[in-house]
Amino acid sequence: MSDLFNPSEEHLALRKMVADFTAKEVEPQAEHHDRTGTLNRELFGRLGELGLLGITIPVEHGGGGMDAAAAVIVHHELSKSDPGFCLAYLAHSMLFVNNFFHVSNDEQRERYLAKVVSGEWVGGMGMTEPGHGTDVLGMTTTAVRSEKGWVLNGTKTYITNGPDAQVFLVYAKTHGRISTFLVDRTCPGFTTSKPIKKMGMRASTMSELIFEDCQVPAANMVGEEGGGLVHMMRNLEIERLTLAAMSVGIADRCLDIMVRYGRDRVAFKQPINRFGQIQRYIAEGYAMTEAARCLVYNVARSVGPEHHNRLGSDAAKLFAAPVGKTVADYAMQVLGGAGYCDEYKVERFYRDAKLLEIGGGTLESHQKNITKDLTRKLD
Amino acid sequence: MKILVTVKRVTDYERKVKIKPDGSGFETEGMNFVPNPFDEIAVEEALRLTKEHGGDVVVVSIGPNDATQQIRQALAMGAQRGILVQAGELDSDAVARVLQKLVEKENPDLVLMGKQATDDDANQAGQLLAGYLGWPQATFASKTEGLESAEEKAQKPGVKVADGWASVAREADGGIETIKVQLPAVITTDLRLNHPRFASLPGIMKAKKKPIEEIPVASLGVDITPKVRVLKYEEPPARLAGVKVADVDELVNKLKNEAKVI
Ligand SMILES: Cc1cc2nc3c(=O)[nH]c(=O)nc-3n(C[C@H](O)[C@H](O)[C@H](O)COP(=O)(O)OP(=O)(O)OC[C@H]3O[C@@H](n4cnc5c(N)ncnc54)[C@H](O)[C@@H]3O)c2cc1C
Repeated sequence: MSDLFNPSEEHLALRKMVADFTAKEVEPQAEHHDRTGTLNRELFGRLGELGLLGITIPVEHGGGGMDAAAAVIVHHELSKSDPGFCLAYLAHSMLFVNNFFHVSNDEQRERYLAKVVSGEWVGGMGMTEPGHGTDVLGMTTTAVRSEKGWVLNGTKTYITNGPDAQVFLVYAKTHGRISTFLVDRTCPGFTTSKPIKKMGMRASTMSELIFEDCQVPAANMVGEEGGGLVHMMRNLEIERLTLAAMSVGIADRCLDIMVRYGRDRVAFKQPINRFGQIQRYIAEGYAMTEAARCLVYNVARSVGPEHHNRLGSDAAKLFAAPVGKTVADYAMQVLGGAGYCDEYKVERFYRDAKLLEIGGGTLESHQKNITKDLTRKLD
Repeated sequence: MKILVTVKRVTDYERKVKIKPDGSGFETEGMNFVPNPFDEIAVEEALRLTKEHGGDVVVVSIGPNDATQQIRQALAMGAQRGILVQAGELDSDAVARVLQKLVEKENPDLVLMGKQATDDDANQAGQLLAGYLGWPQATFASKTEGLESAEEKAQKPGVKVADGWASVAREADGGIETIKVQLPAVITTDLRLNHPRFASLPGIMKAKKKPIEEIPVASLGVDITPKVRVLKYEEPPARLAGVKVADVDELVNKLKNEAKVI
């Protein structure tokens, strides 16, 4: 009863539930929020009711008590209808909640966990800066000790959920080393910019986080001073894996759209799927989607709080991200003008797919990491 | 109150079923199975009733071992325990007889069933069960307030239970008719009774530990000899291409003389 994609009966039940929810509740609203560039806050709350916002948090702490494979399943299924909404979910549940839980103390969990697991609060994570993206260690946001706590100065950018979140995990330098802080929207000296407009993933919002002598209480430093680098690196694995899963969801959906269209569209008095060129798009799209699916779910088995697989998660995202983009492109080509216009939704998936080659690490950063890790293995 | 709810494992209504070349049944290979949608509505109604009046919901499925998946889904929605009667394909009459045995064993105050299963659409098991039990029945239960109402948003039951009676708004041909039945009774659910909830993730995790009793159908001592014999399955005839008519006269003429419908 278990297989690579549904490692247990609970995983299968989770997939069915999310697929059902996606078809009935997520799909009908996707277009509107893409057009308006807004987060569907009410629908986001529904994810809390379904217990999905704290999916990787142990049951005794009020979470779903599930693993990386389960997180992959949720991102995969949601992205079949609304990758933009799924990105807001990812920024909250993976970048904030999962990371926060594993590095916070009891007192901090007491203050924040119930709020973010229920969906009463939205969370986000600030790592990237205007001057430092891939070169994240070069970040210049600083935190200086004050009498009451910490004073933060600097700017983070491209922060998903920036306009909507009540709390952020923020990385800043203390004495030249990276530390992790919890910053509430209400902290004095904290503001967010206007929403940043983007090509795709518009059902999630994004902004800068601006710290101007921002006062953060001492109790809001997470973990030890200088512990931020480890927090960041540890969490990147599940982040990349779930981003890769989103790409598989996009590819699955685009494949479905092009297979149907190939059968139904008639040109030169025959269905276009009789043409070899169309068959190539469909067949290659299918083959690469299957390959990405197997890689992502296989890596999911070895990512968790106790085991690490940086090589695997980098490889999964490096391989899967272009698959979502390519299959969306193939689908658009198979649909011709209908693909470029909005009715068949392909143009939205096409715009959304590109982000996965950039966010959470560019393709080039995965190439860099993989080469470094493989070379290090020789020693 | 104790409510017994039935959940049948059926083929996914969103996918096309394929008939085996020899017409002996359906292709099950690669088929997706789901709980009968009408039964999900019955489970939802049972959960709302026990929330309001207290009590337990017991889910029963009659079918192959894989039907535990559909029982677990109902348990994940919030039902307390499950019973699987292990059996092959039964006709509606045999299903009603098997259920009669279970009802005698479980003594529920109410049996809630889907009005029909989306695979064979027989619409008989509920009525037959009420007949065998000698219980009152209310079929096609609906919600007078409608599915967009505040009652539905607040997850209120459409079936109103008070003082040992259930008041049921049923969808009849001419509109909605409200009848009262004395409990214990059999109620079957129509589409517009409620929006069933999704099983939540904590619900799924809890369902793992809820008990499912497995009963081989032979051990119940019920006569399950089919009363309905399936001779053969076949596809409905393919629709023929339409024709264009020149004017109304030709249309009327065709309807009269070719289609013979007027
Ligand atoms: C929609 C969206 C949502 C995002 N959400 C968040 C968020 O929630 N939180 C957050 O912290 N960040 C977020 N980001 C930021 C994202 O992680 C960065 O955009 C990404 O890490 C790349 O950084 P950069 O944009 O500064 O590009 P740069 O690092 O400036 O890269 C520019 C180009 O140079 C290449 N390059 C850089 N260094 C090297 C190298 N050493 N070798 C080879 N090539 C190199 C890159 O691959 C790229 O092609 C988001 C971005 C987007 C677009």
